[in-house]
Amino acid sequence: MTVTEQEITDYVARVRAALADLPPAQRDELTEDLADHLTEVAAEAEGTLLERLGEPETYAAELRAAAGAAPGGARNLDQRVASAMARARGRLRAMDTRLGPPLGYATASDFLRLLRPAWWVLRGYLAAMLVTVITTGGEFGLLPRFGGELLAGLIMLIGFVLGSIWIGRRSAQLTRWPRSAVQVASAVLVVFAFAALIQAEDRMRYGDYGYDQTSVDSQYDRVRDVFVYDSEGRLVENARLFDQNGNPIRLGYPDCSEDVYGKPSLRAYPYCPEQAPFVPRAPGAPLQPASPTSTPDPSGTPDPTSTPDPTSTPDPSGTPGPAGTPTPTRTR
Amino acid sequence: MDTTQLLKGVLDMAVLAVLREEDGYGYDILRRLREAGLEEVGDASVYGTLRRLFAAGLLTTYVVPSESGPHRKYYSLNAAGRDQLTRSGKLWRSFATTMDSLLDDRGMAA
Repeated sequence: MTVTEQEITDYVARVRAALADLPPAQRDELTEDLADHLTEVAAEAEGTLLERLGEPETYAAELRAAAGAAPGGARNLDQRVASAMARARGRLRAMDTRLGPPLGYATASDFLRLLRPAWWVLRGYLAAMLVTVITTGGEFGLLPRFGGELLAGLIMLIGFVLGSIWIGRRSAQLTRWPRSAVQVASAVLVVFAFAALIQAEDRMRYGDYGYDQTSVDSQYDRVRDVFVYDSEGRLVENARLFDQNGNPIRLGYPDCSEDVYGKPSLRAYPYCPEQAPFVPRAPGAPLQPASPTSTPDPSGTPDPTSTPDPTSTPDPSGTPGPAGTPTPTRTR
Repeated sequence: MDTTQLLKGVLDMAVLAVLREEDGYGYDILRRLREAGLEEVGDASVYGTLRRLFAAGLLTTYVVPSESGPHRKYYSLNAAGRDQLTRSGKLWRSFATTMDSLLDDRGMAA
């Protein structure tokens, strides 16, 4: 037998589609044993149903005429749509069976059905990410955030994933409107996912990952200046930094200093004391700005024992602490 | 003029005639019609005709379970169907006689 069950089902579907304008009861009556008939026709001889019976639409017209039902005549839009749908469905089904074996399943849909729970989880994640984009105004990474809050985002993620699974497991019992709503929402999420993927792809290609820039080479690349404070909270001026081998540690660049062309290795920190992030505060005293009057010695005296100018740090006690004196023990 | 066009007018009668001897299901009736010489009868025409005759109250149906395949819907002639067959049979004979003599007069009959 060369005719498959599928071919018969499709043929019946197209005949029924061509009779779509008849009252349902009459249509059912006309086509109720069509499948059985086709099975017998198929068993009788070789060749496809189309070869032996002609197009389903022709068959339907003949059936309609012989049964004395209202002539189809000019088919209205509904019928044409129904017939086109039936044809498309038939083709999809044929593809379904053809694609199945390469995947190791009877039909491709058997395989896809196994992936449904995975889709439910992904759908929950996508919903959480959509909320992330909406609440944070377009900014998003890989994890959901609710208005920038990661914890709230993760709770939302768990909730959405569980909800999506719940809906997925009950989709068969849903009535028409809720089911349509779920389908529309899923479609929106798929579109959103593609849009987000494209955006992420663009970011990757231009090296911008959407995070704050962090240098891969050194975390100090963004350091512009260094401010050293002693135990009393006073800014230490003309501080010099050395590593364990006595090599000067060079960080930042003196963008506020006139002496841009001096020997950078001998320059003392901070370059720009007036930009100090903290100002010393005495007990009971009001917050004081870092003294703008004092400037570091521009000559960069290569004397590691030099003490900072005591006037540079407003100290109510009047005694500059010795802690501000960097004293490297090893020099080379 | 081919048989298809002639059939249109007499298919009802042909179907009723086939069912007079023995009840039958759709495909069986179709086969019997073809075996009787109506090769050009279409599947859909026979099915449609059966439906129409049933709707007109000339046939009754019953379902016979089949061991090998699907359950089959059998059609059988009822009293109204037999009456109808008798009437149209008479009509056909007189019509055929008229046609025969018409053709004979013109010397065209085989």
